[in-house]
Amino acid sequence: MKNFWRTLAGIGILVLLWQLAALRLNKSILVPAPSETLSLLFHNFTSPDMLLAAGQTAWKVLLALALAILLGLPLGLLLGLSDGAYNLLRPLIMVVQAVPVISWLSLVIFTWGIGWRGPVFISFLSLFPVAVLTTVAGVHDLDKDLLEMAKLYQVPWKKVVREIHLGSLLPFIAAILDVSIGQAWKVTLVSEYLCGGDGLGEAILTARMNVDIPAVWALTLGAVLLGLLSEALIKFVLRRFRHAWKRS
Amino acid sequence: METILNTRNLCKSFDTLEVLRDINLSVAPGERVALLGPSGAGKTTLLKIMAGLETPSSGTMENHARKTAFVFQEPRLIPWRSVKDNLLFVNADGDYRAALCSVEMEDFADYPPADLSGGMRQRVNLARALITQPDLLILDEAFHSLDLGIKMRLMESIIQRWQEQPFALVCVTHDPKEALYLADRIFVLSTRPASILTEIQMNLSRKLEITSPDFIAQEANLIHILTGRTQPHQSEDSEVETGHLS
Repeated sequence: MKNFWRTLAGIGILVLLWQLAALRLNKSILVPAPSETLSLLFHNFTSPDMLLAAGQTAWKVLLALALAILLGLPLGLLLGLSDGAYNLLRPLIMVVQAVPVISWLSLVIFTWGIGWRGPVFISFLSLFPVAVLTTVAGVHDLDKDLLEMAKLYQVPWKKVVREIHLGSLLPFIAAILDVSIGQAWKVTLVSEYLCGGDGLGEAILTARMNVDIPAVWALTLGAVLLGLLSEALIKFVLRRFRHAWKRS
Repeated sequence: METILNTRNLCKSFDTLEVLRDINLSVAPGERVALLGPSGAGKTTLLKIMAGLETPSSGTMENHARKTAFVFQEPRLIPWRSVKDNLLFVNADGDYRAALCSVEMEDFADYPPADLSGGMRQRVNLARALITQPDLLILDEAFHSLDLGIKMRLMESIIQRWQEQPFALVCVTHDPKEALYLADRIFVLSTRPASILTEIQMNLSRKLEITSPDFIAQEANLIHILTGRTQPHQSEDSEVETGHLS
């Protein structure tokens, strides 16, 4: 309870500083007042167009995240188990991880034009190396003594994968989701801004072109809130899954 | 003679490090054998070869056991599973309550291993071996982390199980008392590379009291052999087949 009040006090101080900066500058083109931004944010959450844009961004985020996990986990498992494959593919993964979002633009635009594929692809590429490398770390962290014990007692391999491999990897999968969800929102918004065609990123672009800075702030704040909400949701689902798995 | 374990000229090296040299021993079904030797001699490696977890560099190792169980030096329990689940992991149809009872851990079935002391985890390690109803039980310094009281009760429990349904037992220890209590036959190993220095056939009573004069005399005899101070004393109850300690 004490922590809750402290967090609330922290948010209060932040809004107060924001209000003071807005009053001091007195130019909403630089820093719009909190009241103006929050009013626009509330309007956005009740506007069908904005809700649609938020939904369009959210599904791109989820699709990129799902692809990164579904493809990254098996590849990470493979690379974790095979040093040869790891050494062969590690340079490629490191290059993909190091390439900035902007560098993928020409490839994406010339391949698919403006649309949903570009943001999903770019988000996927930014999340995929994290998923692969974290899974590799998880496999390397596997307790070899437990595997030896399972081998001695001739435990069926499916049971070994479920009880030992999955049990060891669960904290790493949680870490991937934890790190990736915020990253996925940021990269998807930037990609929509650059080559999206729809979604909150595209709405921010339109607001900026109209020099509607309070709208840019309100949309950004909305995206941050959605990001935090989706992170909390994923953590909740993951906690339930771990709980159910432990009881199985 | 029928054997459950049989090694012939067994040698093991890790790169240039020679660990085992010309080990020849056999264990009959239902026989209890102890391997006594100094730390780092290669006893665990020999046990792992017996269990099929390591392969010999040369020589042969035959294991005819239907079910081999191994009590590791460290408990090797799955940390995110309860005590009960750890037992059912190796035998889903096993009677986990009976196995836990035999190590006096019946009240801890739902505990996670992290909530148990080192000694309690080691008892679960033993219960996990027993739940598989092995015909070959291998103990690798299984009681080293236990206090004397529980150690004695567990050894009694193992002997009681063995009397109910005999299984071959191979244990590694550096404690002569433990070896005398558990084994019919004791192999004394040299320092690395380990080879068998001597083999002692015990004919002690099955119902042993570690405070009995006979037991104390046997222990003293064994300590003399281990320290190489004297030639082994030939008592009424034991036969020393070889004693060429240097």
